[in-house]
Parts: sequence; C-alpha cells; structure tokens
Amino acid sequence: MASVGMGGFYRQKKRGGIAKPTLKRSSTGKSAAIALSFTDPDQSPVLGAIAEHGKTASAVAFEEERLRQFDLDMRYGPCLGLSRMERWDRAAAMGLNPPGDVEAILLKSSAAAADCHWEGRI
Amino acid sequence: MKVDVEMGGGSPKLLERKQAVYRNLDERYEIHGETYKGQQYSHIYFTRLHYMRNLLYSLVPKWKPNLPVNTVLGLEEEKECIIVGTIYKHMKLKPSILDEYSKERSKVPLAKPHNFVHPDDHLILEDESGRVKLAGSLLDPSAFVTGIVVAVHGKETSEGKFFVLDMLEAGLPPQIDQPPSSTEDKYVVFVSGLSIGSSTFNPLQFQLLVDHITGHLGDENEQTFASQIVHFIIAGNSVQILQGLLNGQTIAPRDQSTLTEPIKELDILLNQLAAAMPVDIMPGPSDPANFSLPQQPLNRCLFPGASAYNTFISCTNPHQFELDDIQFLGTSGQNIDDLFKYSEAKNKLEFMERTLRWRHLVPTAPNTLGCYPFTDKDPFLVESCPHVYFVGNQDKYETTLLQGSDNQSVRLICIPKFCETGVAVMLNLRNLECHSLSFSTGLNV
Repeated sequence: MASVGMGGFYRQKKRGGIAKPTLKRSSTGKSAAIALSFTDPDQSPVLGAIAEHGKTASAVAFEEERLRQFDLDMRYGPCLGLSRMERWDRAAAMGLNPPGDVEAILLKSSAAAADCHWEGRI
Repeated sequence: MKVDVEMGGGSPKLLERKQAVYRNLDERYEIHGETYKGQQYSHIYFTRLHYMRNLLYSLVPKWKPNLPVNTVLGLEEEKECIIVGTIYKHMKLKPSILDEYSKERSKVPLAKPHNFVHPDDHLILEDESGRVKLAGSLLDPSAFVTGIVVAVHGKETSEGKFFVLDMLEAGLPPQIDQPPSSTEDKYVVFVSGLSIGSSTFNPLQFQLLVDHITGHLGDENEQTFASQIVHFIIAGNSVQILQGLLNGQTIAPRDQSTLTEPIKELDILLNQLAAAMPVDIMPGPSDPANFSLPQQPLNRCLFPGASAYNTFISCTNPHQFELDDIQFLGTSGQNIDDLFKYSEAKNKLEFMERTLRWRHLVPTAPNTLGCYPFTDKDPFLVESCPHVYFVGNQDKYETTLLQGSDNQSVRLICIPKFCETGVAVMLNLRNLECHSLSFSTGLNV
C-alpha cells in the first residue's frame, strides 16, 4: 500500500465539524507512516486538541482509545469498509446493543476519526 | 385482453383472458441505494452468520436441550457441546488464481472439470472467534458447500479437531398459509434459455409458443385453455451475444448490427407477448445485465417496443413475487449450477431442496459465485418459505412437491433450456400442479 503520509496529504474528504486542525503536515519525515498515529499530526490528539474547545489532550486520547476498542470488538463484525457511525448503526439495527458512549463520542466529537483505525492501512 | 374466435359462419365469440393479482417483491434484490466504498465480503458473511446463528440458537433447545452452546474459541477438550458457525469446505480441485503462480508443475490438469468434488475434501466450521476442522464420518463433505451456517454437536479431540456426533440445519422456513383453493384453473407459464442469437435458437419454435399462448393457434378448446394463462415468466438467458465480437476491440459498423440483432428480435417477440398478458423477464448469465448476483433488471431501453406496455415487467434475478397470494421465488439457474459444480446430489431438485433447508438461496456466493458486497444485509436469506420455487436454464424438466416438517408445501420446478428442448412449463395456480408444454418443428415426430 502507498504510504499513509501521501494519502493523508491529498485527503479529499473534509474533516467537518466546528474546528478543523489547521496544521498542515510537512512532507519531510513522514514516509513509512505506519508508525503510531500519535506522530501523525492529522490524527494526533495532542495537536488536534489545540483546536478543540475546552478538552484536554488526555480526554481526546481517551475518546480515540474508546473508539479503537469499539473497532476491534468482534461482536459487531468487521470494521473495515464501513465508517464507525455506519458500523454502530448496523450493530444497533441487528440488536447487538452497541455501547451508548461510543455513539455519543461519534456524534459530538469533531476530532474523532470517521473511519475505523485500519482504514487506508490495509 | 380478448381473443377472437371465429366459428364458421357465426359471429365471432370473444374469450376473455383471466387475470391474477400480481405483487412484485423484488425490492430486497435491488441495489439502487448502495454505494460501493471499497468494502470486502466479510460483512456479508457476518450478517449471514448473525441472522442464521440467532435462528439456530432458537432451535437448539428443542434439538438437544441439555448441552451447552459454545463459540469455537471456547471449546474444551473432551467436553460435549454445540457450536454454530459457517461451513468452509476445503477443496483440493477448486481452481485458485494462485495456481498460476505455483512454482511446481501442477498435478491438476488445467482443463477445468465440471465438478470439483474430490474424496479428500474436508469441512471446517468457522465463527468470529476462530475455526475448527470437523472430523468424523457423520458429515459427508460432498453434500455441503462453503457458506452455509449449521449447528454441530460433538466434542473437541486431542488433535484439535471437532468430532461431529450430530448436525442441525435450519430446515424449511415458516410458510404463509396458502389461500383457500379457488374453483377456477389459472395457469402460469415458465420458459428459460431462449438464447436468441445463438446457433441453437429456432425462431419458429418460439413463435409457435407465442402464438399458442396468445391464442392465435388452435380451435376453441385450445383457445379457451390459452385464455386461462395469467402470467408468463422468462427465467433468464433470453439472448446470447456473439462472444467473438466482445474481445475489447472496436467493432466495425457492419458488425455492430450483429450485436444488437438478438435483442431487437427479442423485443419483437416480447411485444407480441406483452400485448397479450403480463410478462416478467429475468436476466440470466448470458443476458446484458450485471454479472454478480443479485442481477439488476434488464434496462427498459433494450426493449423500446415491449416497454411501452404496462404488462411488461423487467425483474431482478433472483425474482420474488406473489400471484393471487401464492408466493413465488426463482432464479435463472446460477445458484443451482454453482452447487452442482461444488457438491453432489442425485438430481437438481435435491440441490433446490438443500437451499431451502439451509434457508439460503445462493450459499456459494460470494465464495465461488460473484455477488455484491453488501455491508448491512444478506438479501439471499430465505425468511419465508415460498409456495413455488423455480430455477431456470436446467438440462431437463423436473418437478416435485416438497413437504416440510411444519406443514410447508413447496412446488419445486426445474425449467429446461427452451433452445435445446423446446419445453416450457405450465403451473396450475389452483392446485400447484405442473406439466410441460412441448413445441417441436421437426418434420419427423
């Protein structure tokens, strides 16, 4: 797969939400970006938190962690190929009782990534 | 829709064609709402497993009330339990794209056999947590295919395999009660495999069929009989486009007409039929429709003449509809033909029966039969048992009445290819009895 760095650089989708992270990624040092996403400025909760209103870095990191747990929970089926909200809706429609706090994070948080953790990496 | 009858010397008597209340139930097979986002097939298997597993969990207490139900990961050695999962059949002869890259000279001949069953095939049961090989002689792999969901009772052996003591299939789904039988005979005619444009198509033979059905042939008895036909179904493979022209190169103008000839001819014939009665046309493997299941309805632009009639209905494949409250379900044959390639049964009707018992119309999709990667549903699950289940493009006409354990009764019909056999099938809606209608243009009877 092409490195995640370039794919994110030419990202077509708008991030959406009130505050977008305005920091652009620099092309140096961003090759082979299958590193931890904490080094990825578009997804880094620390840098993204600067634009987020009234949220600490640790709160954003906690939300991202919670969403990742939801992604990897195999009760709700595969996570690739579906946005997180769609997967949550599907799980609700199938009667699997997906956790309500995940829905809350997905609806309100603009820094939460819409796609699952592995999207674009596999 | 009236048919004129001329009696010698008298005034013409008008016979009116009977009608039946038709309801098209193809919505579940239509794809217009879906957008492809690059998803894989894991979702369709997940939804299939989820639906079937809930169903089987509700049936397990009646089957073996005292045994625990586990997931594959929760198996303990030598402890009897029940597991539910999707069957995967490992087949030695199944063609794999990787064989082309194999370094060793392949022992398997490159010419594909019609049937890929091999005595060494074995079954594996899989759910989200893991997979386990099924051992024991109770399950014969040649009767199963990849993609069906079953419950098995057994125990894990020391080798890590699961020794099967018993197996439960979902069985025939519940059936809506058939309406009380009416007093009048109404017939439905099924035909498939017209293959207009192929060398085996005999235009006179199909014209005979059309004339007979529309009441232009025969004496008053025959015409009365023809006036009782309420619906006409064409189950796939209506045209066959010359494959040699479709090799990716630009087609010379004089060849362009050969491409469109078969469809124009079909339109003319459909025009005659649609003027007389409601016609359903389903796409098949050789028709100009999408390849993967569910095949979408043939575009109305292909039939400028016939689509002017409101009796002309272009349908999906598989096709589900209701006539006078009798439930019909049918395909153009790809599901049964694929089962025939990857498993064994004594005849095609037995394959059809198995798809109903497994409650899945196309169990081998998407493994060996192309299908759309749905993310939130599996439209091929059979939730309610039809009264009539038909499959087109088969080698010969076969029919039987299948009885279920819960008072279900299904008429199974294999519709033969018309271009090869000249046989169409007539079904009587009053008692669901079937008979064949054979047309021959040979001079020696």
